[in-house]
Amino acid sequence: MAKGEIIAGFLAPHPPHLVYGENPPQNEPRSRGGWEPLRWAYERARRSIERLKPDVLLVHSPHWVTQLGHHFLGVPHLRGKSVDPIFPNLFRYNFELNVDVALAEACCEEARASGLVAKMMQNPNFRVDYGTITTLHMIRPQWDIPVVGISANNSPYYLEMNEGLGEMALLGEATRRAIEKSGRRAVLLASNTLCHWHFHEEPAIPEDMSQEHPQSYEGYQWDMRIIELLRQGKTSEVFKLLPQFIQEAFAEVKSGAFTWMFSAMGYPEIPGELHGYGTVIGTGNAVMEWDLTRAS
Amino acid sequence: MPLVAAFLVPGSPLHYLRPDVSAWAPLAAAFRTAATALRAARPEVLIVYSTQWIAVLDELWQTRPVVRGLHVDENWYAFGDLPFELRIDTVLAEACIAATPSIGVRSRGVNYDGFPIDTGTIVANGFLNEDNAASLVIAANNVYHDWARTEALGALAAAQAELLGRRFALVGVGGLSGTLFRHEIDPADDHIASSEDDALNQSFLATLTQGDGAALRAACGPYAAKARADMGMKHLAFVLGGLGPHYSGATTLGYGPSYGSGAAVVQFTV
Repeated sequence: MAKGEIIAGFLAPHPPHLVYGENPPQNEPRSRGGWEPLRWAYERARRSIERLKPDVLLVHSPHWVTQLGHHFLGVPHLRGKSVDPIFPNLFRYNFELNVDVALAEACCEEARASGLVAKMMQNPNFRVDYGTITTLHMIRPQWDIPVVGISANNSPYYLEMNEGLGEMALLGEATRRAIEKSGRRAVLLASNTLCHWHFHEEPAIPEDMSQEHPQSYEGYQWDMRIIELLRQGKTSEVFKLLPQFIQEAFAEVKSGAFTWMFSAMGYPEIPGELHGYGTVIGTGNAVMEWDLTRAS
Repeated sequence: MPLVAAFLVPGSPLHYLRPDVSAWAPLAAAFRTAATALRAARPEVLIVYSTQWIAVLDELWQTRPVVRGLHVDENWYAFGDLPFELRIDTVLAEACIAATPSIGVRSRGVNYDGFPIDTGTIVANGFLNEDNAASLVIAANNVYHDWARTEALGALAAAQAELLGRRFALVGVGGLSGTLFRHEIDPADDHIASSEDDALNQSFLATLTQGDGAALRAACGPYAAKARADMGMKHLAFVLGGLGPHYSGATTLGYGPSYGSGAAVVQFTV
């Protein structure tokens, strides 16, 4: 068996508004569009996935919050309706997905070997969270690539942030080892928004883009600073700034997906490709790609 | 008096799904005691506020007449499924929605098939209202609402119930100290995570049962900070708001652990 590899990583945020704006048949609510620049960014990311042809997509979602360890979807086939508890008016999505259980189990075992508490979720009635589904839909709406779904353990919030993010880094290393042993060509998806300051009321027409803009100028400035560094491949500088960014921009990367992904990729100092940036109820969202096949 | 009962109960599924576990049995028994008392009070509606139903935009109220489904907790899925069927007092819920602008809160109704009812609400209803004799009004925990605003919401819900002539009970769903074990334990060995948390919980419950509203409100902030209490004890704020001048004390029916965190079933004197 050939050695597996991580062929790319994507910053792939999960505002359900993007699914709502696209009007796929799986989602019940209908919209008149909206958030086009971000949806077009995902169109470019979709073309990259088509080109990369991965065997598996691994997604770390901040909306599957677990307290006792890091959890992995462990049921071969999951289906159901996922209704966003925050935006039920926008996201009521009938999902159906296939899980790469063998790789999930391998990731879980490697995480345990690293000293982390890790568990396999084997309840067939489990409702997959809207963060996982939104990211996966936006990156690959055909749903024809098996997935590994990973929970966001609450350690960055519950413990000291650096200790929690340290767990995410360990989880990333464990994920890389499992992928290498599996022979899979894998793409990692960090389902994270950047600046997470948001409006507290929704416009009467959610897709009315005349109401959409950054909630915070300071948050927007932070996003641009981080994106520019990522575009330049200054990964180590980004991670030096990360605690301050999280603190001052209320950045959702605190939940760990971003750290997990970069740790798994070995913190490559290569330019990330920005597919697009936009706000959703004021939060900052960037779709970015790190193609490790081009870097090697 | 339309207010006929009030309770503070934990929202963990552990006591509900595994009452046979020795460490969780006392709280399950306390729930059954509370259910008997509630049944005797004959409420038409339970006004439920659960810390686990999180909202960030507006205040959300369940407005679907009948909500049914099969819920699986995102943490404790291995202990079993939670089938549920809830009857909603949509008239009272809509009245609450219409009234909240008077306290500076914008509200919305939630009426969607498949909406994820939170574990705490399902557990509370399953223990206290197993036969669905009472309908429910369910209010979300908007994370940006502070103690005062949450108390105002509880008061508003109670006032609307009184205006409609309902016999109602208040149910605040949430925990006490918030430190969970971060490693696997044998459930039979479950206990409060530290003696400090245990002491803080016991002291807080003593204050809660005494019936001195000023002392209780003064104790809440420091207790919540030291014990990492569940959502700053906003479930208590909602119930206290609903009780208003009727708060005169309470009885702790049961106290125990929920994977290291603190949990109690408390019946208020009404």
